Amino acid sequence: MTDQPRSVDRRLPLKPKVLHILLSLADGPRHGYSIMQEVASRSGGQVRIWPAGLYGALRELEDQDLIVESGKRPVDDDERRRYFGLTPLGKRVLNAEVSRLEAIVDLARASRALRKA
Amino acid sequence: MSPHRAYNRLLSLLRGSDPQSDREMKADAALLLDAARQRGRGAVAATWLALIWDLISGTAQDLSRANRSLLRAPGFALTVSLLLGLGVAATTTLFALVDAVLLAPLPYQDADRLVAVWESNVPQNRLREGPSPGNLTDWAANNDAFEAITGFWRAQATLRGRDGSAPVTGIQVTSGFFDVFRQSPILGRTFAPDEYPGRLSITSGRTGGGEPALVLSHRLWQTLGGDPAIVGGTLQAEGRTWRVLGVMPATFAVPDTNAAFWTPWDPRAAYRDGPPREARFLSVVGRVKPELSIAAAADRMKTLAARIAADHPNTNADWTVDLVPLRDELVRSSRTELLLVFGAVFGLLMLVCANVASLSIARRTARARDTAIQLALGAGRRRIIREHFAETALCAALTALVAILFTTLSLGVAVAFAPADIPRLHEVDINSRVVLFAIALAMIATTIGVLLPGVRGGSAAITPALKDGAPLSGQRAGRVRRALVVAEIAVTVVLLVGAGLLARSFASLQRVDPGFNVQNLLVLRIAPDVTRYRGQQVIEYYNRVLDSIREVPGVAAAAAVTVLPMSTIGSDFYRPYWLDGAKPAGNVMPQANVRMASPGYFATLGLRLVAGREFALQDTVQSPRVIVINESLAQAAWPGQDPLGRELILDYQGGATSRQIVGVVRDARYKGPRSEPSPEIFIPHAQNPYLVMNVVVRTTMEPAALAQTARTQALKIDPDQPVHSITTMERLLDDTLQEDRFAMLFVALFAAAGLITAASGVYALLAYTVGQRRREIAVRMAIGASSSSVARLIVMESMMLAAVGCVAGALGIAAVSRLARSVLFGIAPTDPLTLMATAIVLLAVVLAASWLPARKAARINPVAAMRI
Repeated sequence: MTDQPRSVDRRLPLKPKVLHILLSLADGPRHGYSIMQEVASRSGGQVRIWPAGLYGALRELEDQDLIVESGKRPVDDDERRRYFGLTPLGKRVLNAEVSRLEAIVDLARASRALRKA
Repeated sequence: MSPHRAYNRLLSLLRGSDPQSDREMKADAALLLDAARQRGRGAVAATWLALIWDLISGTAQDLSRANRSLLRAPGFALTVSLLLGLGVAATTTLFALVDAVLLAPLPYQDADRLVAVWESNVPQNRLREGPSPGNLTDWAANNDAFEAITGFWRAQATLRGRDGSAPVTGIQVTSGFFDVFRQSPILGRTFAPDEYPGRLSITSGRTGGGEPALVLSHRLWQTLGGDPAIVGGTLQAEGRTWRVLGVMPATFAVPDTNAAFWTPWDPRAAYRDGPPREARFLSVVGRVKPELSIAAAADRMKTLAARIAADHPNTNADWTVDLVPLRDELVRSSRTELLLVFGAVFGLLMLVCANVASLSIARRTARARDTAIQLALGAGRRRIIREHFAETALCAALTALVAILFTTLSLGVAVAFAPADIPRLHEVDINSRVVLFAIALAMIATTIGVLLPGVRGGSAAITPALKDGAPLSGQRAGRVRRALVVAEIAVTVVLLVGAGLLARSFASLQRVDPGFNVQNLLVLRIAPDVTRYRGQQVIEYYNRVLDSIREVPGVAAAAAVTVLPMSTIGSDFYRPYWLDGAKPAGNVMPQANVRMASPGYFATLGLRLVAGREFALQDTVQSPRVIVINESLAQAAWPGQDPLGRELILDYQGGATSRQIVGVVRDARYKGPRSEPSPEIFIPHAQNPYLVMNVVVRTTMEPAALAQTARTQALKIDPDQPVHSITTMERLLDDTLQEDRFAMLFVALFAAAGLITAASGVYALLAYTVGQRRREIAVRMAIGASSSSVARLIVMESMMLAAVGCVAGALGIAAVSRLARSVLFGIAPTDPLTLMATAIVLLAVVLAASWLPARKAARINPVAAMRI
């Protein structure tokens, strides 16, 4: 049931924080601290996520089935940490959000005022 | 506690639903803080704040997701946190000041072994006088209590640079100074032992013992451009060239932050007849030997002092030595003020807590029905209590956050505006102790304001609360709220009386007659080059400068003097005197303050002559030596007799000379309205040429308008001689009252804040009561009570509160009046006018606060109120 496209669309648009978390997981599972670092470095320090906000969001995303605690663990494993990965639904929601943003960017590019600039 | 552990505490306080997440959060926070530490203290502070904020907002989001009670009414948590946060911030600011000034150790190695050394003569009631150079020299050579001992004194010097000159304070230190304080310079070096012998004082105009050398303060170094190359270079001061040996760190402030440089001084070389024993003016600090307690060191010093007294009974009989830990010594003068202010702030915080508690009780009673419904529907009491705790924790965290933010702001403001002479103020900083204090106080404040007043909510009985129309507020809650309002009024009464007394005390300080006419007086200071003017050249120079200034239209008179009234510039010269004949035996030697004045000084100042004449141009080195004395000295030396024409022998400048009294002048309060006049001797400037003088100008117009013209006129005579510190006498008088003004404004501010808090407390209580008693009032009106009698009922209740509060406040005043007496001037702590005015103001404000609730009660429509 959660695989219905309607259920994907209903979750959009994503909150910026959620989008950044999902993006950081796109290349594979990460633990919480690594998500914080990744988000900060990808955005050049523009976006920072702090622990309480992060773990609250992770629990919410888990509840919504967008991410799942991952069994795959890297070699330099820290056993006290949980690793999170995208679920198939999570991947689809992320893709749908990216497509939605692309459409908005196309729309913006097509506008004459912006093209001039 | 490290930020890590503080964060962990806060986290376990706020969360706890998900242990795994909490563990990871702790680890992450530790990593983030460690990473921030690489980037410096600012980054740590920023990260720390971001983490706290994240924790609070994250927890709030969790709670709102769980549909907990709090965020249904976020206004309550925000209001409470802002109110309490401001109160905690004010208290924390004062704590930071008290912490830095009173509690923190001095920034020297093994600072607890540093003691200030004083001389006291109990039979003569001369306590805590600065040791004399002669005694210090003996102590330094013969004591077995100290590893090192040093004496120092301050002198005003004029620093000359390419772009003009500036007056600075130089500290002249005897050998061992840097061994006592054990502070290394940040640049260069301090003085070697062989650089002390032979050094004369800065202002002596002579050089002794090799090239003049000095060590700069951090501040003066920064003012001069902060170039490290200054070490090894030279500075021009007091007509000589000084070699700069080193620069001290910014924390080194001996004796205070005014110290611009330190220079060696040798008491053996400075006096022709050897270091004097009876001139007691030095500041002396010793480093107690590590194996000795301070008490043991004091015993040894007392033994030594007794031995010296036996050898030199004329100067030292009855004189003994006191040792005071240096930290106690430094803060002695500010302790009472700081603790008073701290008490006032804490009182204000308690007021805020009382108001918040009152708010919480009102909220609890208003929600009693909700709670009862929750309980009836099967919610566990435990859960309701846990929610209440979570809510309190959130309020506490928000309060702490608000408090830390506002403390940061207010500390900057406080340091900028506090009186300049509070010692160690420059060391104030937000450190972990201050942050912890804020957090602890925030917890206490929220416990008082939120947790305790609300905690009965969980035990509310279900059925009575659910009954329609049941009285929602318990009798007990009402009594507690009334008691809180009474407490608020009581504290406000104390603050109001304090403000009133300080204002009256300030007014009487301003009314004090300083002894002369302070209006229309311009003053300026001239510090000529000692190598350029000597002896009679100095007199000629000043005569020409004064003539030049007198030419200016608007100038009525001009004169010169060594030390001006009200001015902190220039030092006192207390010298012994006696009446004709030989120097009396024994050690009781009266002293008088000696000043040099030019002809016309008393007329210019408006200082009335009681008898005789003032100095004239005919009083020169060739003419007989004359003096003018003040009334205090006349009274002391010739009680009830005419002193004119009598001789007085003054031991001054190495010789006892007889001088004839030609005039008696009124007493002036030389150091501000609080000071008592002391015996004074004036010598004609021409009979004792003195280089650095204050010029005082009587004007017929606004004196400040003539400042530049007067300066130009003085520079016309010699453009190379610096003219500075131009100001008016009224400004100088005003400056002596700076501390009193600060105290008055500060307490007035708190009294106003207290008044507002009490008024809002009264208003909130009455408005709530009127709401609760709607039905009862409606019944009264239905059976014939008039609107005005209902309004009177409400007003009477507020007046009762005010009356009880006033009585409680009066008890508080009685408790603090002993402390207040030392601060007040010319007024008793029980001044009836102030007490009356306070009562009237308070009753008026309470009356005004009860106006709206009373009107509301009077307008209750009995029919509408009874229908519900």
